[in-house]
Amino acid sequence: MTRTISLQDQQFILHPSGAIYWPQQSLLLISDVHLGKVSHFRKFGAAVPVSAIRRNFEMLGETMAFFNPKKICFLGDLFHSYLNGEWAFFESWVQSSNLEIILVSGNHDIISPLKYQALGIKVVHEWELQGFLLTHHPEERTGFYNFSGHMHPAVTLRGKGRQSLRLPCFYLRKMQLILPAFGAFTGTHVFEMEQDDEAFAIADATVIKI
Amino acid sequence: MTQKQLFEIAISWFKQQKWTPFPFQKDTWTAFLQGKHGLLNAPTGSGKTYALWFPIVLNYIRNNREYKTRHPKGIKAIWITPLRALSQEIRQSAERITLDLETGLTVGIRTGDTSSRERATQRKTMPDLLITTPESLHLLLATKGYDQIFKDCTAIVVDEWHELLGTKRGVQVELALSRLKAIAPEMRIWGISATIGNLEEAREVLMGPQTAALQNSTLIKANLRKKITVISIIPKEMETFPWTGHLGLRLLEEVIPIINKSKTTLLFTNTRSQCEIWFRKLLDTHPEYAGEIAMHHGSIHKETRIWVEQAIRNESLRAVVCTSSLDLGVDFAPVETVVQIGGPKGVARFLQRAGRSGHRPGKESVIYFLPTHAIELVEASALKQAVKQQAVEDRIPYLNSFDVLVQYLITLAVSDGFFPDDIWREVQGTFCYQAMTLDEWHWLLNFIVLGSQSLQTYDEYKKVVVEADGRFRVTNKGIAMRHRFQIGTIVGDANLTVRYQKGGYIGTIEESFISKLSPGDVFTFAGRNLEFIRMKEMQVHVRNSTKKTRKVPSWMGGRLTLSARMSELLRQELYSAATSSGDNPRKPAPSAEIIALAPLFDRQRQESIVPDPGQFLIETFKTQDGYHHIFYPFEGRFVHEAMGSLLSYRISLLAPITFSLAFNDYGFELLSDKELDMQQVLDNELFTVEYLFDDLQKSLNATEMARRKFRDIAVISGMVFTGYPAKNIKMKHLQSGSQLLFDVFREYEPDNLLFRQAFRETFEHQLEEGRLRLALERIAGQEIVWKDCKNPTPFSFPIITDRLRETLSSEKLADRIRRMTAKLTRR
Repeated sequence: MTRTISLQDQQFILHPSGAIYWPQQSLLLISDVHLGKVSHFRKFGAAVPVSAIRRNFEMLGETMAFFNPKKICFLGDLFHSYLNGEWAFFESWVQSSNLEIILVSGNHDIISPLKYQALGIKVVHEWELQGFLLTHHPEERTGFYNFSGHMHPAVTLRGKGRQSLRLPCFYLRKMQLILPAFGAFTGTHVFEMEQDDEAFAIADATVIKI
Repeated sequence: MTQKQLFEIAISWFKQQKWTPFPFQKDTWTAFLQGKHGLLNAPTGSGKTYALWFPIVLNYIRNNREYKTRHPKGIKAIWITPLRALSQEIRQSAERITLDLETGLTVGIRTGDTSSRERATQRKTMPDLLITTPESLHLLLATKGYDQIFKDCTAIVVDEWHELLGTKRGVQVELALSRLKAIAPEMRIWGISATIGNLEEAREVLMGPQTAALQNSTLIKANLRKKITVISIIPKEMETFPWTGHLGLRLLEEVIPIINKSKTTLLFTNTRSQCEIWFRKLLDTHPEYAGEIAMHHGSIHKETRIWVEQAIRNESLRAVVCTSSLDLGVDFAPVETVVQIGGPKGVARFLQRAGRSGHRPGKESVIYFLPTHAIELVEASALKQAVKQQAVEDRIPYLNSFDVLVQYLITLAVSDGFFPDDIWREVQGTFCYQAMTLDEWHWLLNFIVLGSQSLQTYDEYKKVVVEADGRFRVTNKGIAMRHRFQIGTIVGDANLTVRYQKGGYIGTIEESFISKLSPGDVFTFAGRNLEFIRMKEMQVHVRNSTKKTRKVPSWMGGRLTLSARMSELLRQELYSAATSSGDNPRKPAPSAEIIALAPLFDRQRQESIVPDPGQFLIETFKTQDGYHHIFYPFEGRFVHEAMGSLLSYRISLLAPITFSLAFNDYGFELLSDKELDMQQVLDNELFTVEYLFDDLQKSLNATEMARRKFRDIAVISGMVFTGYPAKNIKMKHLQSGSQLLFDVFREYEPDNLLFRQAFRETFEHQLEEGRLRLALERIAGQEIVWKDCKNPTPFSFPIITDRLRETLSSEKLADRIRRMTAKLTRR
């Protein structure tokens, strides 16, 4: 179940996978997939389940099928580390997807931009688009609304009877929206909500406003 | 040389020291020289080291007639100690013998503290007698050509075996022994253990069930009974004595005359934070003690600890506030008195601590018990009974610890490689893996070679490779190096070094505590007030501060549970309070502690009852926190955690509801924002033992508990890499929380044996399923008394104020969130 929000007079659809769709631009925003992380761990002797590799691509597929966008922009940390076998999966996914792909590079993106360019992917440090600034690290820039990732945001909810619950979320604060991590093998970082902050948590394949 | 001649050497040495050997020492010498294996049951400070060092040396003399001139190289004996701190003392006692008897035998220590230069020297020439830890022994097994190192070893002594037995370090010892048996055929296996409930089993675990070693082994008991006097510190004004709390500061002044009366007093606290607070408070209220009292716990810098231990021996300290860090080893003759602050939770631990005082033959041990809240006086009374009956607990050995086995197999693969058929036979002979199936074994082999169970068309997993001749080996240098750094089974929270900005180490602290501090915050640590400056590369920089603070780091894992023996005694004491009000003249008179608690029991009876042996008490009441439902099985916190989660699961089947669960050693609480229909709970027989395992498994709580167990398993089996200690090598892309890993396994590989082990350990060691079953059977025979109270009762107070909670829910996530959102706390 998705949720539509309005920012700077533009509509955006939040998807429970952690992706955001911008209908006016037919652009899908996805952050922190950390492809290759499972293989990286396995290469160093930590036997993370192989099926988690497949899950990332299944999720990408499901989300694409849902929105059917023309463009996709990854907000950094697309690949977790050095080149490994998962690159081949990524290559074939790129070739079959038939999309315009932009990568705003993040701190984990240490693979040469040339490798991306060879696949027709544009690699940039940031992207200004219609008053929106797309970056990996959250940024403040006058006149721009910032979309970013990097933080893997989550919120902790507390209830009566001293209950608590931790959920990944889309985190909105002054002129900023931070996307949750999309990847299947990624952790979260809990945000303490300040006054005027907003969060949309992901639970049971639903996006819920907190 | 005949045995008689050998004995004469030993006895004349004893005469020179003006000692006479105890019968148990002679018995051990005889058994050892006959070639037997064995377990020696003897307490600390009884001369147990001479019971075993002597026959080792005598055996060497017997095998080397010209021992004074001829000296064959190589390890003759290994002495395993669980604590590095004890190794110096063990070395001293060994050297006294080897020097006095002019054997020319060398004694060496190899532990985590040994410098790399000394290690290198040892690698060329091993000492004749090697003192080491289980971890360092495994590191030797990870050395190329290790079979040559051990081939002439005649003895391995596992000291403080009771400490290792119920831990994964014990499993490590079992595995090492299984290998050494094969490569050192002359080796005798000996264990030394304090008194525990299952000494026979302890021997079986050490030797291996159904092995030749067990057949040829003996159990020798020192039987040195010591008089122990337990004195409870009973608050003068019971009416105002708190119902809850765990610090015990209220009775601080009562300790002062005790300290002043003795040469040296040890004050045992249950946690490091409690230790810090007590030390601070003692100095604040009695500044005259400055320089005369000290503090000792596991997170304080090693040199400081050694200084404190030395100062106790020199009699230059009046009192030391300490934790279990002073439970073991090291004899402190000057200690006259011991104070236990708060319930020690176990009889063995209490006896061990009591034994720290009056450490001279014939002297009586005196231990004071200081309660931290009222009901703990019942525990004091129970402890007196326990001491009288010597009701010591069992140490439960681990079974099928696949994580330790994975680590061990890779250890062997790192050194000389191994052939699975040989190792299968050895491993199957151990206690831990006696019931392992061939399927499980193959699963483990696949796991270390393929990283999964099916051969993938594409994969980059690297760890162990199978060579052409069928030998399993690690060929990748990086894997081998990382593995050597990871050998061991003690997994702590990430620990950070605390140091002054200008240098000077103070100790280590858990990352979770520091992460809550901001620069400028002041906290108490190692007895000082320190200002947090910054965190830099796993180091915490601080400076001294004069500011007062209440922040004291809390260390995880400080929570202990009442043992089965203790909880039984505790119930008996409590029941004596219930029955004493009646007029049964044949009942024994209640203890002083129970009599002192009369005002509290009166208050309890105003709203509720003090249960007797035939009653099971349930209380309910409402506060602003919500609806409290409290159950009192008096079975210890672990059983209560299990019973609480079981019950809440079963209740949740009746109607959707969410609980948070709190528990202590006396009972547990289900707190909810909705009222529970207690009559319905009682009508549905929710305490039944039927479907126990299934129901426990289904309760959400078991998953959360397993998640915590999985952390250790992931580190031990090498799935989480903890980094290079003190080397500051960045492994950024390889760091992941075990939490995350747990979630990934739960979703993608739930039948993974290591993942399932987390659940098994939860049931066997955490939830104590066996004890739970017995407790439920006991409750089934009791009358359930449900009291609907207006106010919290004295019994309930310590439970409802506990902030460590587990959540259990049967409601839909979205429903819960909707209700929580209304209460969301914003800054």
